[in-house]
Amino acid sequence: MGTAYAIKPKSESPYPGVVEAPRYSCALGGAYMATLATFGAVPILHSGMGCGMAQNFGQNFAAGLNDAGPQGNTSTPCSCLVEEHAVFGGEDKLRNLIRTSLEVMQGDLFVVISGCVPALIGDDVGAVVKEFSGQAPIIHVNTAGFLGNSYKGHEQFFEAVIDQLLTEQPVVRKRVNLLGIAPYQHVFWKGNLQVIKTLLEQVGLEVNMIFTEDNGLEALRRIPSAELNLVFSPWSGVATARKLEEKFATPYLVFPSVPTGPKDTTAFIQSVAKRLKLPKRKVEAVITHEEHRAYRFSEYMAAIATMALPNAYTAIVADTGTAIGLTRYGSNELGWLPEIVILTDNPPEEFHDEIVRNLTEGLDSIVKPEVHFEIDSHRIRLLLREHTVQLILASSLEKYLAVDELNAMQVSVAFPVYDRLIVDRNYAGYRGGLALMEDVAYKYGGPL
Amino acid sequence: MAIDLKANTCPNREQRAGAINAYYGKASDLVKEARQGTLTNKEREFQQSSGCVLNFYLTTRVVTIRDAVMIVHAPVGCSSTSLLYREVYRRIPLSEGRPADFDLHWLTTNIDEKDVVFGGADKLRYAIKEAQERYSPKAIFILASCTSGIIGEDIEGIVADVQPEVQATIVPVHCEGIRSRIIQTAYDAFWHGVLKYLVKKPTRKQPDLVNIASMLSYTWQDRQEITRLLNRIGLRPNFIPEFATVEQFEIMGEAAVTAPICPTYTEYLSQGLEQEFGVPYFMYPSPVGIDHTDEWLRTIARYTGKEAEVEVLIREEREKWLPKMEKIQEEFAKARPDGKKLEILGSLGQGRLLTQVPYFEEIGVSSPAAIIQDFDNLVLDEVEQIIDEAGDFDVLVNTFQAAELAHLTRKYDPDVALTCPFQGSAYKRIKSSTRIHALRGDARQWSAQAGYKGAIAYGNFLLQSLKNRAFQQTMLDKTPDTYKEWWYDQPDPLHYIKKEL
Repeated sequence: MGTAYAIKPKSESPYPGVVEAPRYSCALGGAYMATLATFGAVPILHSGMGCGMAQNFGQNFAAGLNDAGPQGNTSTPCSCLVEEHAVFGGEDKLRNLIRTSLEVMQGDLFVVISGCVPALIGDDVGAVVKEFSGQAPIIHVNTAGFLGNSYKGHEQFFEAVIDQLLTEQPVVRKRVNLLGIAPYQHVFWKGNLQVIKTLLEQVGLEVNMIFTEDNGLEALRRIPSAELNLVFSPWSGVATARKLEEKFATPYLVFPSVPTGPKDTTAFIQSVAKRLKLPKRKVEAVITHEEHRAYRFSEYMAAIATMALPNAYTAIVADTGTAIGLTRYGSNELGWLPEIVILTDNPPEEFHDEIVRNLTEGLDSIVKPEVHFEIDSHRIRLLLREHTVQLILASSLEKYLAVDELNAMQVSVAFPVYDRLIVDRNYAGYRGGLALMEDVAYKYGGPL
Repeated sequence: MAIDLKANTCPNREQRAGAINAYYGKASDLVKEARQGTLTNKEREFQQSSGCVLNFYLTTRVVTIRDAVMIVHAPVGCSSTSLLYREVYRRIPLSEGRPADFDLHWLTTNIDEKDVVFGGADKLRYAIKEAQERYSPKAIFILASCTSGIIGEDIEGIVADVQPEVQATIVPVHCEGIRSRIIQTAYDAFWHGVLKYLVKKPTRKQPDLVNIASMLSYTWQDRQEITRLLNRIGLRPNFIPEFATVEQFEIMGEAAVTAPICPTYTEYLSQGLEQEFGVPYFMYPSPVGIDHTDEWLRTIARYTGKEAEVEVLIREEREKWLPKMEKIQEEFAKARPDGKKLEILGSLGQGRLLTQVPYFEEIGVSSPAAIIQDFDNLVLDEVEQIIDEAGDFDVLVNTFQAAELAHLTRKYDPDVALTCPFQGSAYKRIKSSTRIHALRGDARQWSAQAGYKGAIAYGNFLLQSLKNRAFQQTMLDKTPDTYKEWWYDQPDPLHYIKKEL
């Protein structure tokens, strides 16, 4: 076969869904990952046998070689539907499964997620789930793999939470929820959430990360009491924020990305502080201290930054939020030249213009990136070949292409990442840029 | 049962070989019931996700065929396991013999809400043509899914329709997730497509060619070791399917013999090659452990006229490796302060049951029970032989039921529990835990299990597990259990077995 295909991508496909290796799983996958990220929640899959286990390679391992956690992968209860259920219905099987799961699984919240098979055979899953509503907190995410991708499922998880679990509560001043960071699809999700939480706590906020909070059920229930919702993607999580505004009148702020590095982090904090009318002096004191430390530490990487990657032409292949954060940090703090940005998370059309603005305006670099929305890994490969770059921040799908075809350094920073373990690592906040440089320089290696 | 290649697909493993995946009892009773035809499968009231016909990683195996394209006719999640396709194997250094042209491709048809209503036939047709145009492959594998099955997609019709327009040979694989409870049905379905569409009628015989079919079970070092051994007696292995070229499938009918590594995963292929092309095969033993490697080589030699050469090889190899094996045996013999044999709980597939128990005998440890994914009547003689050699033992048949595995591990409390990412919390314990086997892209010497070299590497690997238990002890101590305590207090790992199907 060789590696040298020169076939040009066609401009328009009659079936844009037919693609090589799109970088996400299905809606069931997204709802399942959100459940696993809610500590104490037990997913119950009403689906074929493989729908849970498959995500272990397709979502968990794919997000920096992660495990699925104590309720994930083969530990996840599943109705394991086969042909006879497709013929006679799967409701009895599900009823038994929920009953026994409540008996044997440790957990505070049970999340029934229905997949393609029950959707196709017409099981009344909602009715079966309702039978157990008096016994334990239990909700139903009424999805199916064919309804969309992981991001869609992530939103459907919150729809189910909002509709079935949340009740109106008195608003607690200075309490905020963090939205828009889809577990596993954003490979640095755990670290990102914790960094933002810690930062905002420093300026006096009470922060609900939801995912990875000690008690997931309590964290979910607290959502309506927030004064403000913060969304960290130009599009993912916006639907959830809109629904929360509609139902509980909670306003929201959308940030195009998790901020990376001091400049964007300061701007982020100031924006939140202004909106919540936080005492200026305290906020500025935090900013001054953090900035000083971050830039004093930047002195330690200056030689490597100027020797290894001075004004590097960069390609970024990532989900929108990650791409914006890294493009801005590279361009505005490191002096990189963002040559091309390829967005792989398939944002809806309505957000495209805003996303392109975020990627091309407010950059110090004279070079502005060519922005592509592309989910097809083959076309992404062909697009990259049209550019000469020195650094590729991408998924691990680009790892060998970078070396073999593009003669560039590559660091895996976006889904899927199969070549490094990401547990708490992140590029968020004041020190996020330094962490990025540590990883980039690891690839450079060697003495100067 | 003869293989019918006129059919669109194979029968399910349940029909073909009476396969079950819910049983707990004595191995001898299991074999007896299978012989009497009284062995029936059971339904579980509590069940956990365990892989399906499509996704016990058939995708990740088919995608490694080098000059082919895999099309998964399914919603987008069913192929997400294959996102590792550009990395898997790539870290194996070229100096270890990895081919340089290793560029894999797959497409999803991304079945959506509209396709569910109107059908996805046009999309599949387009995907096939797109695969041809983009990648010029020699073969295009089409993998079916639950959804394509339930909406009644006529994959055979589409293939017949499109084949004249594309150069690549199209191979439909009927691996709809809901078709069977037994994940091995996937492999039969894959081999059915291979036999029906890819293997060519031989125009000549290659008397030095040995088909070695496996699904996942060998590492790169195992391939190297098997190649080394066969080369020494003038034979060449034809490794199928992982990493193979389409031509390697086409010429399987020319081989002298088909030899096993994991016999029941590949039995359908072996049987089909004999039935259709007269290539003989054997099921036992596999080349794990020194004695079984001897026998495996001798059996191959009988089919290839290398009886004299193989005895020289075996003698020389034993001379080289036996002293190392004796050291391992000595260390295991003194592992327990009470002087008893060390107990290891392991196994995975039926094939591994057949290799592991004798290997444990060889290194001088015992196995309190065996855990196998599923059980069928294809290897009854062989299991009986093992019972004769090693004595009767308990068997839990379950396909990655993590709660049952955690229960059984605590119940038997072996000195070492062999585990894998599909056994949930079972690794958290006071005593030793280590992995059953390495994954395929792992090319380290450390990870070998097959042949003489592997027998030593694996023995040393197991010994390492006795020397520090900090990880599993700490995790046991510091993390909550997935299940409630009563689950462990009651005696039966199959507590939630309901009724006969």
